[in-house]
Amino acid sequence: MESPEGGGGGPAARGPEGQPAPEARVHFRVARFIMEAGVKLGMRSIPIATACTIYHKFFCETNLDAYDPYLIAMSSIYLAGKVEEQHLRTRDIINVSNRYFNPSGEPLELDSRFWELRDSIVQCELLMLRVLRFQVSFQHPHKYLLHYLVSLKNWLNRHSWQRTPVAVTAWALLRDSYHGGLCLRFQAQHIAVAVLYLALQVYGVEVPAEVEAEKPWWQVFSDDLTKPIIDNIVSDLIQIYTMDTEIP
Amino acid sequence: MDRDLLRQSLNCHGSSLLSLLRSEQQDNPHFRSLLGSAAEPTRGPPPPQPLQGRKEKRVDNIEIQKFISKKADLLFALSWKSDAPATSEINEDSEDHYAVMPPLEQFMEIPSMDRRELFFRDIERGDIVIGRISSIREFGFFMVLICLGSGIMRDIAHLEITALCPLRDVPSHSNHGDPLSYYQTGDIIRAGIKDIDRYHEKLAVSLYSSSLPPHLSGIKLGVISSEELPLYYRRSVELNSNSLESYENIMQSSLGFVNPGVVEFLLEKLGIDESNPPSLMRGLQSKNFSEDDFASALRKKQSASWALKCVKIGVDYFKVGRHVDAMNEYNKALEIDKQNVEALVARGALYATKGSLNKAIEDFELALENCPNHRNARKYLCQTLVERGGQLEEEEKFLNAESYYKKALTLDETFKDAEDALQKLHKYMQKSLELREKQAEKEEKQKTKKIETSAEKLRKLLKEEKRLKKKRRKSTSSSSSVSSADESVSSSSSSSSSGHKRHKKHKRNRSESSRSSRRHSSSASSSQIDQNRKDECYPVPANTSASFLNHKQEVEKLLGKQDRLQYEKTQIKEKDRCPLSSSSLEIPDDFGGRSEDPRDFYNSCRTQAGSSKTEKPYKSERHFSSRRNSSESFCRNSEDKIYGYRRFEKDIEGRKEHYRRWEPGSVRHSTSPASSDYSWKSVEKYKKYTHSGPRDFSRHEQRYRLNTNQGEYEREDNYGEDIKTEVPEEDALSSKEHSESSVKKNLPQNLLNIFNQIAEFEKEKGNKSKN
Repeated sequence: MESPEGGGGGPAARGPEGQPAPEARVHFRVARFIMEAGVKLGMRSIPIATACTIYHKFFCETNLDAYDPYLIAMSSIYLAGKVEEQHLRTRDIINVSNRYFNPSGEPLELDSRFWELRDSIVQCELLMLRVLRFQVSFQHPHKYLLHYLVSLKNWLNRHSWQRTPVAVTAWALLRDSYHGGLCLRFQAQHIAVAVLYLALQVYGVEVPAEVEAEKPWWQVFSDDLTKPIIDNIVSDLIQIYTMDTEIP
Repeated sequence: MDRDLLRQSLNCHGSSLLSLLRSEQQDNPHFRSLLGSAAEPTRGPPPPQPLQGRKEKRVDNIEIQKFISKKADLLFALSWKSDAPATSEINEDSEDHYAVMPPLEQFMEIPSMDRRELFFRDIERGDIVIGRISSIREFGFFMVLICLGSGIMRDIAHLEITALCPLRDVPSHSNHGDPLSYYQTGDIIRAGIKDIDRYHEKLAVSLYSSSLPPHLSGIKLGVISSEELPLYYRRSVELNSNSLESYENIMQSSLGFVNPGVVEFLLEKLGIDESNPPSLMRGLQSKNFSEDDFASALRKKQSASWALKCVKIGVDYFKVGRHVDAMNEYNKALEIDKQNVEALVARGALYATKGSLNKAIEDFELALENCPNHRNARKYLCQTLVERGGQLEEEEKFLNAESYYKKALTLDETFKDAEDALQKLHKYMQKSLELREKQAEKEEKQKTKKIETSAEKLRKLLKEEKRLKKKRRKSTSSSSSVSSADESVSSSSSSSSSGHKRHKKHKRNRSESSRSSRRHSSSASSSQIDQNRKDECYPVPANTSASFLNHKQEVEKLLGKQDRLQYEKTQIKEKDRCPLSSSSLEIPDDFGGRSEDPRDFYNSCRTQAGSSKTEKPYKSERHFSSRRNSSESFCRNSEDKIYGYRRFEKDIEGRKEHYRRWEPGSVRHSTSPASSDYSWKSVEKYKKYTHSGPRDFSRHEQRYRLNTNQGEYEREDNYGEDIKTEVPEEDALSSKEHSESSVKKNLPQNLLNIFNQIAEFEKEKGNKSKN
């Protein structure tokens, strides 16, 4: 099995200097790897989200020492492709990953090492399925977010909507949220609302007649949502971004 | 950097954001100017903390502000603006594509006053509104708006907003009468907003589609039924009746929500692009990704490398001669990588070696498409093209051949062989043209001379033909093949003629040739021999004088006469009949000259020719057949080449309008099956071939070269022996063509020789028949 160098060495090297636990850093790195590989493989947002969720969920059940996180990541990409009906070839996954770790390397030859790599991905996939008890289908915030965006768009003045990239930013925030384990801790609708909230905040967009309304818009979207929850999610999300700047 | 956005954000968050921005984005040049100018933190202070909510937000906002300041360069970049065309929303209810929800304000329970206010703020000209007619006056009608119809969803049903549709904006439905009479109170109308008075909250609508923007102009305005009301409105009505329904419930119970394609659909609606996914992470900015790292690019490189391995193995096989294995490897390589240049070139070379030139050309062209600078591909392609052109030339498809040569030349201007081949072809064509002209002239001359005794001669000829025919019938089995050859030659001559753009003439010639061949034999002074044969080929034409069979005697007589006039006649007929290659002319000459020509290659030919000489008096078909036989014996395609050559010559002649080729005619006749007269000539020609005396150097230089030096054929050395074997054949043909053309030239002088030879042929024929 290929054990790329970055994974194991990272967390140990850093001392307990601050917030992000060493494990969280590893997960951040690996999740970054998943996201990057997903883009290079042409995966859509939801399969990437599924891959990240599978990965995070797996390491909730096990710990980092037992398995090579990057292999788990590759397998979760493969598995997510199957679950979300965007099938990926192991050959492509191997190629992209190999390139990620050896940026200047030549493409892999069709030799025994290649077949071993492929075998390990497939074996790992089965292992993961068993660890997750075959529950690999998730409700993602994406659908909710999109509907909320449509509803909000109709309510906002069309010009202010046009000049403010609320939708794009919200989408970006949602994608980036998968670097951490938000998806496991909060409800999909809540995450969607929180992301939208943050996007509006960032641009200083006000929802018209918010004050006069009986119900705040975010409450409309999700009944059991409360402001503290939103704030929690928002702060977690911002936290994830801080890791981006600290980890090369 | 988008100033307005930044300003908006600053307005919302206040001065603390500004200071944070300053500290975080110091290095960013964009911001320096912006922050400088936007340095009015006090300018737009949020309306002085009216609400507590704001204050709370403020406090929590520090984190957010920090976040904003850190990511400001990304957030406010111009490229983030969504490109979704905001106006392209036709109101397709698309119920099943996503969950259409009632308006948000309805859930939020916003007071009517605010809704009204916001409505008037946001409504624009060109929006579509749907309302119910409340009253009709003489100057128009009023309607109460119930919903919006152009993709915007607002809850206005209870706001009692009225709009006026003036009379002039009501299209008339009948030629006379009041257009308003068409409408009744309570009708549901769809109209376009024409005029807005926001301050007074007055609206004017129109029923003409000119009031709508272009992308909406397809929507029908006027009376609609309640089924056509927009879906969101219907849902809104439902919600009103059951106000406890939550947004979420409605959404999740909607069919559109579970549509598998809902995400893609909405992404497109909102203008978010998945192929270039947005992200606020620095490491995930797409500009940092190199194209080479993407899966598809990696796969291509890898396939190319794997395919190359297979190609190498294949080439090794090829070198030791294991062609089948080599082909397998190449095919394997091409399966891995369809466009692999090396594999295509190697496979093309293998095809060419084996002789499938067309496939080889295809492969090379494909390879050159992918990699236009591949030296080997170019080289091989040129060679194969020239070779194929040579083949075509042999088949008398001269225009095709020419195009191949030209193609080869365009590929590689320095490719000498192609150029030579092309020139040779041109010269050949030109020469035959000249010959035909000459013949035409001669025929003109002949015409002016006289032909008084034509009738007698004709009779004699007929008798001779008959005799010859009988003899021929007894002769070798080759006669049947000859007749077929005859036919085919005639047809080929016609076809090749057409190739020279003399269709009509050709057809005429051809049709005439069949008859005229007979006729010719009867009348033909020259020799015609092949009448017998002709009879075998074609049914005897009913009426014509042409039904004489040409016999040996006639031929002998003819020969004895050495009567140019006869030739003339025959030539006339010949000319009509079919365009014979001018080479026929040259037979007499050939004999003279031919023998000089060295012909190693056609030694056996020569011997065969000798035997064929006996058939000389016979029609050219026989000659042809004998030629054929002999050629078959020694050289696979020689007969084809002869064939082609003859045809070619015929074509050349066919090209000319009225060739009275006198001398050429005689030669021609000999070569063309149609021209029985000249069968002996064709024999001679054949001899010429055998001698392979390329006379017409100028015309067929290349061929000549080939002819004379079979071994000298240096092309296709790349492909190995296989190709080389083809060359000699080409040589044979070209040599024959050479000989024919040369024959044409030199006819006049050697009639005696011709006659002698005819006699010889007859003898030989006699021998052959015995055999």
